[in-house]
Amino acid sequence: MLEIRGLRKVYTGQGRRVEALADITFDVGAGEFVCVVGPSGCGKTTLLRCIGGLLNPTAGSVRVGGEPVTGPPQGLAVVFQEYGRSLFPWLKVGENVELPLKAKGLRRDDRRALVAEALDAVGLAEARAAWPWQLSGGMQQRVAIARAVAYQPRVLLMDEPFAAVDAQTRADLEDLIRSVWQRFGVTLLFVTHDIDEAVYLGQRVIVLSASPTVVAEDLAIDLPAERDQLTTRAHPNFLELRGRIYTQIQKAKRASAPTQRGG
Amino acid sequence: MSAGLRLLRRSALFLGLPVVLVGVWWFTSANSTNPYWPPLSNILTAFRETWLGDALVDDVVPSLARLAIGYGAALVVGVGFGLLIGSNRWLRSLLEPVLEFLRAIPPPVLVPIVILVAGIDDLMKVIVIVSGVVWPILLNTVEGVRGADEVLADTCRSYRIGGLLRLRQFVLRAASPQIMTGARQGLAIAIILMVISELKASTNGLGYRIVDLQRLFLITPMWSGVLLLGIIGVTLSLLFRLVESRVLNWYHGVRAAERISP
Repeated sequence: MLEIRGLRKVYTGQGRRVEALADITFDVGAGEFVCVVGPSGCGKTTLLRCIGGLLNPTAGSVRVGGEPVTGPPQGLAVVFQEYGRSLFPWLKVGENVELPLKAKGLRRDDRRALVAEALDAVGLAEARAAWPWQLSGGMQQRVAIARAVAYQPRVLLMDEPFAAVDAQTRADLEDLIRSVWQRFGVTLLFVTHDIDEAVYLGQRVIVLSASPTVVAEDLAIDLPAERDQLTTRAHPNFLELRGRIYTQIQKAKRASAPTQRGG
Repeated sequence: MSAGLRLLRRSALFLGLPVVLVGVWWFTSANSTNPYWPPLSNILTAFRETWLGDALVDDVVPSLARLAIGYGAALVVGVGFGLLIGSNRWLRSLLEPVLEFLRAIPPPVLVPIVILVAGIDDLMKVIVIVSGVVWPILLNTVEGVRGADEVLADTCRSYRIGGLLRLRQFVLRAASPQIMTGARQGLAIAIILMVISELKASTNGLGYRIVDLQRLFLITPMWSGVLLLGIIGVTLSLLFRLVESRVLNWYHGVRAAERISP
């Protein structure tokens, strides 16, 4: 579903030249849940913006469903980290979820049904007529997830979506996104800096090196499909994978330390 | 405190000082024999005689009609071009110096020039109003469009929300707090220009009538005209607040939510 080939992004400006991505290549199959994890400042967000067609890469290519990406592709939704700024404050919760469906040209009855189903899936059926700013941060991010789900995308990109919520809410949202993924069968690429989160959520974890960034490791997550905050996190495989990724990231940080400061 | 009591307190605060000032005016002017400072009671009598008769149709209605048309046209032109200029970085840097220059010209000095081009009829007066009101609306709209949140812009892009839907549901709404700021400044300017446009080469209107009364040394009716202008100003500003609280109810909500948890 996703084919990323030799992706490279260099930012130039004001006499500075920053190589955010050096050479990234990987695939994501249809219906797969893949997490991307890496040290901070390694260009995770840049990668996601290139895949989402919000940013033009310097070299390399991205294909979504076989089609080369030149702008935001059809059937792709993004959930941003800044939930407070990605919902339209002048639209009620239901209208926020509905707006992309209007852009899609869906009929009113179809829009209504999709909005109701999506809000129900994230447990916010009651909040349809509320304003986004009346909700807590976790609930706002759930609205953003509902909006993405209602859009019926083939591919869902998530950019550190739970980085700004408290730990308890975060655990709830992690379980929510697993259930949403299982219910709607979407291809999911989830970017995070949190190793535990990546292992807990994904079927596969792609570990990025420090900048200039390449794929350091591509790990299959050998854990039962039914995951649970307590038992999964205590599973021997979980601990082993987590340790392995941690070592990998530390190595990546050290290797780049003389030339590049982490940030 | 109950809602009724709160409303009572708010109206008491709102009306308190005006009532005191009118009272002071009433009593200090009561025995005035100075022809330039007539008693308020006489002014109120003159108010009824001067404005609630033929002058309502001959002067007040034409003035307010020109005000409404000029203000409305300035809103359409200012918001329209503001959206266009604000959305286009290239156009913005090209036009900004010119706009700042045009804005700096006081509209009253344009009256003689506009008369040359548009004659002395209603059209001239409407043009004068537009020429002053359009700038705060235009420049605030440009700022509002430019300041729209980038994450929301990205959200629109990735959901492929474009064209009119994007304009209506994103650009216009994101700029609406700034547009309303410009519109509020514009309203005050519109009232001033309504009067000024009627001072030269005019045959009707509030501004014309007030100056005419002064020339005829009908000082008490003249004062009543000044009073009427004040009342029109306050009424329009209250109407504006009503519209604003409806258009920007979300914005006030966001601000209140931010105050509770920054």
